[in-house]
Amino acid sequence: MESGLFSSQPPGAPNGNRKTLQAGIIGAGRMGITHLAIFGGHPDVRVSAVADNSPIVTHTLGRYRSDIALFKSYEEMLGRMPLDLVVIATPPHMHAAMIDAALDCGLSIFVEKPFTLAGDEARRLAARSRAVAGTHQVGYVNRFNDVFMIVKKLLKAGLLGRLISFCSDMFGRTVIRMEDNSGWRSERKTGGGALYEFGSHAIDLAVYLFGCPDQVVGTRLTPIYSSHIEDMVRTTFLYKSGLEGSVLVNWSDESHRKPTNRIEVFGERGKITADQQELKIFLKEEAEGFVKGWNIVYITDVFTPVPFYVRGYEFTRQLFHFAERARTKAENMASFDEGAITQHVLDMILADAGVEL
Amino acid sequence: MIELDDLILGDNQFFGINHMSQQKAQELAERFNDTSEIVHAYHAAYDMGIRAFMLNSNDRAAEICDYLRANADQFPELGMYASVPYPHKYANLVAEKGVIATLQEVLAERSAMSLLGLAGSGLSMLTGDVTKIMTILVDVEMSMFRDLNVKVVYLQNIITDLLLGLALRDFFVAYSRHIRKRYNATPGFLTMNVPRLAAFLESSGVEESVICGSVNKLGYLMSPDKAAYEEYFTRPQKYPVTAMSIYASGAIPAAEAIAYVRQLGIQSIMFGASSRDHMKQTIELARSLDEKEMEQGVRRNA
Repeated sequence: MESGLFSSQPPGAPNGNRKTLQAGIIGAGRMGITHLAIFGGHPDVRVSAVADNSPIVTHTLGRYRSDIALFKSYEEMLGRMPLDLVVIATPPHMHAAMIDAALDCGLSIFVEKPFTLAGDEARRLAARSRAVAGTHQVGYVNRFNDVFMIVKKLLKAGLLGRLISFCSDMFGRTVIRMEDNSGWRSERKTGGGALYEFGSHAIDLAVYLFGCPDQVVGTRLTPIYSSHIEDMVRTTFLYKSGLEGSVLVNWSDESHRKPTNRIEVFGERGKITADQQELKIFLKEEAEGFVKGWNIVYITDVFTPVPFYVRGYEFTRQLFHFAERARTKAENMASFDEGAITQHVLDMILADAGVEL
Repeated sequence: MIELDDLILGDNQFFGINHMSQQKAQELAERFNDTSEIVHAYHAAYDMGIRAFMLNSNDRAAEICDYLRANADQFPELGMYASVPYPHKYANLVAEKGVIATLQEVLAERSAMSLLGLAGSGLSMLTGDVTKIMTILVDVEMSMFRDLNVKVVYLQNIITDLLLGLALRDFFVAYSRHIRKRYNATPGFLTMNVPRLAAFLESSGVEESVICGSVNKLGYLMSPDKAAYEEYFTRPQKYPVTAMSIYASGAIPAAEAIAYVRQLGIQSIMFGASSRDHMKQTIELARSLDEKEMEQGVRRNA
């Protein structure tokens, strides 16, 4: 079969004289396939190689997408293909070696969350990336959600005055029964567990909005269905400014149809509650165009369209941001440096829980 | 050419889905927690002249299908617009176990296996033919609709748009062939990318299929943007389009919402309604516009 009609040039969106960026994807699981699909709608990016050893994935791509070169090893892909950027979407314990190899090749890198499995490794990779041209991004997708981006802007503008407390909660139904606990998601050493695999989104959201906490206390890592890893995380962040925040993550909550992040921020001038679709602001006095009392903003009021919709606005936006930054080299909204801060906080949480790293 | 129903009752409200507000979604989930509430809504809709129900093959849909089969005499002219699969089931399974284990689990359900005459064969017979796996998964999902009058079988939008991005042309061709052959129904595709999907289907040689996509004056869930949709609807369409999300989950007043899709020449609307009054409002507004159009002799683009 010939290559996809839209894999390089969708109608009505010619890329003019810009050079097409050649992309490789390492790991074609759920997220790798999603990124491959989203790039299918990008006028300037062509995925020319995929490295994966799952037979079903390589068979499907081999049969239907002969324009994509398939590799069993990422080293071989990096060695043989002239790439501009690479997406790493493997289990997290494999990230660091792949990032090093991609940095050796001078590539722009998008790596799925969590960045790595240790703060010192994340800092080393972030420091290395600063010396390599291109852009280097971690897949913390909440940073690209329309509502959370507005919350960030409002907090930065000081809408709530001095911040006193927050909650960052995340719920979902990833593990909802006793299982045989096979696969990388049920082992800490491969990057599994609710904290890394799921909760890193809630923790990164807190880091994005409030920065790195100075102390982490009161951590509980609780198994519900899993036998040797947590399904629920409860922890508290303390900041020198006096701000304190709680984080609650539960990936065994069947009442949620899909993963949901919620935040609540309490400040001296009012309160903000937000999730991916809805923002409520209570103010003691009118400010920044908001009335005194309750203000409600829905996603339908504030969304910005994306050229190609696959799983949600933010998924397209984060990957298009990556491709755009790979070209312009402008500041990345979810850079390796940011990812290293979140990784450090993950370390603090595990240390507080008495987990040996 | 398929004749799409002008008004199709959507199902998001029954399953706690609202794209604007999780709080509203929660309220809906509570209101329709008891399947008898959904059944009441179906009776109300049928009494008001609605002859088409959309139903996604989620965990609760089987129970609803059982009711519709058992009470077929009360819905003699009903046509079902099925959508498959329930993507979150697969997303969660894949997240938890990986692709292969998910396939094994889905296909290992004894009822599904025996239904398909596959008992004992396992996955081995399937390796090497991904479109075959697709058709079997569709059959597993469709088994709950057996003996119902299924008019359209939509591929759910998360899957459609993923496969569109992957440019897997043969999947679309195989899917539409399978739906026509096995179910004698019209193949359909739900999407958030109507203009792109239509161009892709046409260039892939997909025939006699329909599209259902968000169309609303806010441009919500319409990629690449509202202008591209408006331009698309000025041209003749190979695939009849049903508009969904016309209210953008409640952000647009009903009269404006319906007027907008009709201005674009779209006759078929999939609508949600969280109460009998909402349902009545949509139906009356659509019918009053029909009457006006008839009076003015406006030619329908259906």
